[in-house]
Amino acid sequence: MRLTLQMLISHGRVARKMGLGPESRINMLRNILTGLVRHERIETTQARADEVRFYAEKLIDYAKKGDTDEKAMKMANFWLTEKDLVPKLFKVLAPRYENQSTGYTRMARIPNRENLDRAKMAVLEYKGNPFPPLYPVRKENELTLINQLLKGYREERARIPNIGTP
Amino acid sequence: MAACSRGLDKIVTSLRFCRKLQHQNERVFSTSACRPAADSDPPKFVPPSKPVIVDKTQTVASMRKFLSPEFVPPRQRTDPFKFFLERKDMIRRRKMLNIPEFYVGSILAVTMADPNASGKTNRFVGICIQRGGKGLGATFILRNIVNSQGVEICYELYSPRIQKIEVLKLEKRLDDNLMYLRDALPEYSTVDPEMKPVPFSPTGEVPLNQIKVKMRPKPWSKRWERPKFNIQGIRFDLCMTPRQIEGAQKHAQPWLEYDMLKEYDTTKLEEQILKEVQQDLSK
Repeated sequence: MRLTLQMLISHGRVARKMGLGPESRINMLRNILTGLVRHERIETTQARADEVRFYAEKLIDYAKKGDTDEKAMKMANFWLTEKDLVPKLFKVLAPRYENQSTGYTRMARIPNRENLDRAKMAVLEYKGNPFPPLYPVRKENELTLINQLLKGYREERARIPNIGTP
Repeated sequence: MAACSRGLDKIVTSLRFCRKLQHQNERVFSTSACRPAADSDPPKFVPPSKPVIVDKTQTVASMRKFLSPEFVPPRQRTDPFKFFLERKDMIRRRKMLNIPEFYVGSILAVTMADPNASGKTNRFVGICIQRGGKGLGATFILRNIVNSQGVEICYELYSPRIQKIEVLKLEKRLDDNLMYLRDALPEYSTVDPEMKPVPFSPTGEVPLNQIKVKMRPKPWSKRWERPKFNIQGIRFDLCMTPRQIEGAQKHAQPWLEYDMLKEYDTTKLEEQILKEVQQDLSK
């Protein structure tokens, strides 16, 4: 085989090497993607989550085409190993993201794994899932002085619209 | 005929007389006031305007839409502005030299400038086996067998040395890459250099040649039977046993067609670039 330098240099290569080879990589990603579609929030290593993120978003793009589309059905059939998730993908996940065009997933880092390998872990979830949010939503305290003054200002403006203007 | 010759003689003599007068006049007064008087000079022959043949049977809409593959930029991290500038230069060159529509499998004749050839040009006729490169460096390889020696020449479409590209026969083949013709029998790569151009219409489908080529005995330069090349145009049943064909299928990678990372959908990009190119070429 002609051993070119192109094979050794990996400039611009987007796909990471995982597992035992290209087939093993696709199989691993398939399993993780099936788990993600089933549970809508999973924790894996950061590298795997990053790889699956792309495929998860593309799968939703295919699902948006509808289940009558042949190519979409073939893709869903290949990527979801548990076949009871194929209707869930088309009937639940695709309508959820009708109004968005990108950004159906969210990834967040979590503390490293407890094992000896201390691997970087990440949580990958589909947006709009039923679980409590990953990042806690900080509610502004209404009883602070500044917030009370602002509230009073807003109410005065609503009561007398043209106060302060010449 | 005799009558007109007599008339011509009279006109010629009168012309000579008039011209002598004009010259004498010019010697005496060399002003341009004399010029209008010397209208006896025969008016310069203005040929009638050529008839503009507008083919009303073929509307713009019915013409075959073809965008040369080197206009479509590859998937890269470079700025699209670079491709825009390159396209402008490509269109400038296309205004000087007409680069016709052709596909892999068509028969072309290329005249190129050559300082060492007699007549300073050389002409090569061959089958196009590959179209590579993007942008200004786009190339195409022509193959022919000359004096029982296979010759392949790789031409750059936008090279200033190329003076003329003619399509002698426009057709498509079953594959995008006919490199396997190197291992096929020579009759499939021979093209007659004095071939007459076969007329083709600018509307309708390009004819697809479904020919399946017979190969020389193995070993070949590449293992064309492997599914990675995805060759439709070889008669495998004549040169390989069914067991060998099965063995080659073991190297298939069925997951590749489902790998969404490898997909590059160019339809929208192509439409936009085609519109841009057609607008610029018609200016």
